[in-house]
Amino acid sequence: MADKDQRPTIDDASGTKVARWLLLVAWLIPGLGHWLLGKRRRAGIFAGLVVASFVTGSLLHGELAVPQANSPLSWFFTFGCLGNGILYLVRLLALNGLDGIFSSAFPYGLHGGGDPITAGFFYGKTFLYTAGLMNLLVVLDVHDIARGEKS
Amino acid sequence: MDHFLLLVWHAFLVAVFFAFLWRSDRRGRIVLFVKTFLIMVVGAVVLGWLMFPFP
Repeated sequence: MADKDQRPTIDDASGTKVARWLLLVAWLIPGLGHWLLGKRRRAGIFAGLVVASFVTGSLLHGELAVPQANSPLSWFFTFGCLGNGILYLVRLLALNGLDGIFSSAFPYGLHGGGDPITAGFFYGKTFLYTAGLMNLLVVLDVHDIARGEKS
Repeated sequence: MDHFLLLVWHAFLVAVFFAFLWRSDRRGRIVLFVKTFLIMVVGAVVLGWLMFPFP
């Protein structure tokens, strides 16, 4: 088990770098931020919840939010969905391939997957957005714990 | 696909999440979980019935 004093914090001398790295990791891999801070039970639970919600959304043929031209709101949805971290990135890569992601139209023209004809389409989107927003809150929680504002 | 089951599953995930995010003691987590879960499930059903007469 990691020594409490060696856990990443914002307050120590090299704090800013560590904190940014920590927050990036917490966003990218759900639960890892808590794990690195020694909150292993919470890490497992948060990771399980985010992954369960994301998988449910995917199984229901939900659509990942992607930026769309002439739709400023789509950026907000994308930001929320991007909260899923690596789950979002991997699924987006699987749907579009490298060529699709790095096309000349980037960031537009991406395919978010999903099947609007299925009954679970909108439920699936809800689960996918919920997973992303939960993970963003988890990142904020990691930030608070690292600053010592929360145990 | 059972829509009500999906509602319950969604409420469960969110309720567990906020219970662990906002409470640190066991009793507090259970209380918050039950409150959040019931508000989401019962609230959605009640709201559904209230909307029933409207087109």
